[in-house]
Amino acid sequence: MLRRLMRKYKVGTVVRYFLLAAWTAFALIPLVWMLSTSFKAAEEWVTWPPRWVPENPTLVNYRALLGMEQVEFFYLDQHGERKSTTRPGGTAQFFTAVNALKNSLIVATISSFIALLIGSALAYSISRFKVGGERFRYMLLGIRMVPPIVIAVPFIIYYATLRLTDTHLGLILVYVPTSLPYVVWMMVSFIDEVPVELEHAAHIMGANRFFTLRKIVLPLAASGLVVTFMFIFILNWSEFLLALTLTQSEVITLPVALSRYQSAAEGKLFGPQAAFGAITTIPVIILAVFIQKHLVKGFSFGMVRK
Amino acid sequence: MDGIWELEKGRLVKGTVGSRKTRLRKWLRSERVAKWSPFFVAESFILFLSIPMVLLIYLAFTRWRITFGPWWMGRFAGFHNFEVAFVDPRFIDALLRTLYFAAVAVPIETALGLGLAYICDRPFKGQKILTTIFLLPLMTVPVVIGYNSNMLFIREGPINQVLSLITLSEVQFGWLSEPFTAQAAVIFSDVWQWTPLMFLIFMSGFSAIPRELVNASKIFGASALQIFWHVQLPLMRPIIFMAIVLRSMEALKIFDIPMLLTQGGPGNATETIAIYLFRVTWEHARVSSGAAMSFILFGFTIIFIFICIKILKKQRLQVIQQAGGR
Repeated sequence: MLRRLMRKYKVGTVVRYFLLAAWTAFALIPLVWMLSTSFKAAEEWVTWPPRWVPENPTLVNYRALLGMEQVEFFYLDQHGERKSTTRPGGTAQFFTAVNALKNSLIVATISSFIALLIGSALAYSISRFKVGGERFRYMLLGIRMVPPIVIAVPFIIYYATLRLTDTHLGLILVYVPTSLPYVVWMMVSFIDEVPVELEHAAHIMGANRFFTLRKIVLPLAASGLVVTFMFIFILNWSEFLLALTLTQSEVITLPVALSRYQSAAEGKLFGPQAAFGAITTIPVIILAVFIQKHLVKGFSFGMVRK
Repeated sequence: MDGIWELEKGRLVKGTVGSRKTRLRKWLRSERVAKWSPFFVAESFILFLSIPMVLLIYLAFTRWRITFGPWWMGRFAGFHNFEVAFVDPRFIDALLRTLYFAAVAVPIETALGLGLAYICDRPFKGQKILTTIFLLPLMTVPVVIGYNSNMLFIREGPINQVLSLITLSEVQFGWLSEPFTAQAAVIFSDVWQWTPLMFLIFMSGFSAIPRELVNASKIFGASALQIFWHVQLPLMRPIIFMAIVLRSMEALKIFDIPMLLTQGGPGNATETIAIYLFRVTWEHARVSSGAAMSFILFGFTIIFIFICIKILKKQRLQVIQQAGGR
């Protein structure tokens, strides 16, 4: 039996499938654990041995986060006394994710959209007319390489002077230039693939540039636009450091709201944390599955053959 | 009709257009404006981001805190802030620790990503869905990864459970309370998040290698290892370089994961440079010191970026030549 199996599947194949399975487990375990914890009631958050499937699955964490009900969380304070709270983190706004979800959606959508608009126009200029030259493209990449903390420090006084601290506009104005490099680099590779000959032909037939752009370039680069938009949307959605430093209480994005749980004095609130994590991650993962096929191209630096 | 001298195709000609408005309209429609306007819009955004750099220099050379009143009231401090930064052991440690994290994590990610891409290169059953699963960590919000790892590494967490199963003994180890294991946990999470990026880049690298080359080597009797070592790896060299450069750049920014996983602890064992600067500037409110340190960091990164871009340019040229000239 074993011999027959071994003859059928070569050793290499078996090893390969074993490695693939191992990596799949490695990649999935943290996400599965998060999902499982998000359905647990407080008693099951920390148990030994850990429970992978909650015994009494509950939606209480999600309901609390979406502001549908007030939930009392029990915890042990530093002296080991049992206490309860309805407002982890001290104030009410940490409790629901609704506000943060709204802020994140506004900021990420608008900034990604503006960056896409400017970036793809720039990518077109770079691809067709070599505007700015090779050096400009790499300079853009250089902007992306500067650590955000270096940008963030002077923003204390910059935004205080401009009165942009803790506003949507303030975050958007930072996110646009920081996501521009990716838009330009990705869109250049997509626009390069639209044949110039088509544009020339249209030009000869008397179409003006705007018409050519709308009727020829846009339809052919549309999938590229979608992919790029989703990619920078994911980036801006998950950006943490700048959102943490440029906002205080009004415009809290999802990652910042999530990080407040960690500094909450009541200790670990694993359930709501996990539910919050799931709410933050799942939309992004859905987007990612859509663009996954195209991402390979976006990261190929003009290397994939047609 | 009196014409106005205007520039057309690089030559001064006597224009026939009268009013200013129509001339402006004509100029707006010209090719040059269409070509360059996105450039200037993008540039103005970048300018918006560069003004703070001037402020950073100002802050670094003055003595100012938020409690001192408006920022322009700060007194000139000379190199005082820089002196403070250079004798601050926590600053130097955080800087070295960040380099240490990058130096450990990036090679692991490169090796794992390369191995995984090699395995996934040949078609097999379920390739599509597995590739999607492998890319999930890349899409997970970093803050969430910090949290998840925090849940995984606690004393009663699943990591200890898995280790208990493997070693057949009760393992209940507090990973996050020992400096070394806490650092390992940070690196583990970093590897979890970023290996997929390397995998993605190397996948496209492998797919760009001509099949004929591999098949020909097979016919000549080369083993899989030989093909990998002598055919595929040399062709992948530029892309590997580029991936390492891109990844190291990101690795030096590491903030989200250690901030949420360990908050820089235990002690300062996982405090990276970004976390330390955040602490100095926001939590201790020593804005001027923070600015001086940021300025030093900026100086280092500028050198680093310069080198990186040089490497990237060279390798990318090679890649394009390889792809074009076959």
